[in-house]
Amino acid sequence: MTKTSVPPSAKQSGFNIHRFANPGTFLRFESKIQPWVIAFGILFVSIGIVWGLFFSPADWQQGDSVRIMYIHVPMAILASGGYFGLALCALCSLIWKHPLADLAAEAIGPIGAVITALCLITGSLWGKPMWGTWWVWDARLTSVLVLFFLYLGHITLLHAFDDQQKGYKAAAILALVGVFDLPIIKFSVNWWHTLHQPSTFSITHAPAMSLSMMWPLIFCFIGFALGFIALVCIQLRAAILERQVRHLLLNE
Amino acid sequence: MTHLPYLAAAYGITIIAIGGLSVHSWTKLKTVQKKLAQIQNNKRS
Amino acid sequence: MKRKTKRLWIVLGAMICFALAITLILSAFSNNLVYFKAPSQLINHPTAKGTTIRLGGMVVANSLHYSHHDQTPTAEFKVTDGQAAIEVHYTGILPDLFREGQSVIAIGSLDQNNIFTANEVLAKHDETYMPKEVAEALQKSGKWDPKFGPPPDADTWDHMVKPKQ
Repeated sequence: MTKTSVPPSAKQSGFNIHRFANPGTFLRFESKIQPWVIAFGILFVSIGIVWGLFFSPADWQQGDSVRIMYIHVPMAILASGGYFGLALCALCSLIWKHPLADLAAEAIGPIGAVITALCLITGSLWGKPMWGTWWVWDARLTSVLVLFFLYLGHITLLHAFDDQQKGYKAAAILALVGVFDLPIIKFSVNWWHTLHQPSTFSITHAPAMSLSMMWPLIFCFIGFALGFIALVCIQLRAAILERQVRHLLLNE
Repeated sequence: MTHLPYLAAAYGITIIAIGGLSVHSWTKLKTVQKKLAQIQNNKRS
Repeated sequence: MKRKTKRLWIVLGAMICFALAITLILSAFSNNLVYFKAPSQLINHPTAKGTTIRLGGMVVANSLHYSHHDQTPTAEFKVTDGQAAIEVHYTGILPDLFREGQSVIAIGSLDQNNIFTANEVLAKHDETYMPKEVAEALQKSGKWDPKFGPPPDADTWDHMVKPKQ
């Protein structure tokens, strides 16, 4: 009774991910990993933040203000990562008609919006003492603000139509269109003169950050990433259960 | 440095936002789980 | 399978077209997207005197001094991009991170004497993050004088500083 029908093409395909097309399978898998994701998320964030705030060195020129980095950088990465997730959901929804893809997109959107807002706010709080201004319209800051509005647009589109399916489709299209903001965000500091400094980390050479600062940053990032996954899973589970409730009420 | 208020504000806003989001998500899940259990109980009885 | 493949091609095709469109738009407006002009750009392509522009570059070592025209202290320093330097005058509080060897952005206008009068000065900080001890060790070893610009590549740090426990 709790199963929703799975399209026949999904069963025939050898692609593993279609196992999760069955919401029941997803729910069972998710209930197993959820306590671990939450526990490790809280653990890593706690370690990372305490380390970053109290046991890592102050920067030679920024002083203690550098500690905002331990929040700002993970939020920035997750903001882009979250939108990339929205784009993946959009592909799964539009091309493969994956039944969970739309619900996942609905779950990721608001969380991604909050994370992007935190990235912008902590960035301003860092910029005011360091640069001397709350905001500039340089390419990096502007493209991240665009990302925030893309998230808001995505959430709005999902609820803009009487026919929910139209809303899902419109939101999926916006996700695929907006995904081009992500390389702009990443490379804006290389392509154009910006106030925001270039990347500290690169694939080709050693990071321009001392290890004593890099480790708390890594812990914070892992913690926040796990927290992001946990929140998305919780929201997705709630959405699947809400669908079941509606099914049951309709079938009375 | 005398920029501690900015640092405190950044961490404070983050904790409040993430905390609020977590509480909201958790209560949403609990509400739906309760409703589902209620309906399934009604169907059985 | 057939319908799925068709959908895949439609979506991919649309995205490629959109990507091309964005690339063309960005390259066309590239000049307007830069947040600031470098000194050599400003000298080679001067804008009309008096228009507000943003000038970015590094503060030249030993070029900072304060003058006291009209009783308000004015900071005077040169900003360079390695090819040309422009003199900047600024009345006001300089940001904390301002120093010789730091990258800055001055917002203001160039006057007829080729002196840039700034209404606002912002300090950039580079992408290097290091504790005081590392900075001091780099300076003591003679490898780096902050007055002259950013620190050397991070690959070389370990050779100059004992690894911390």
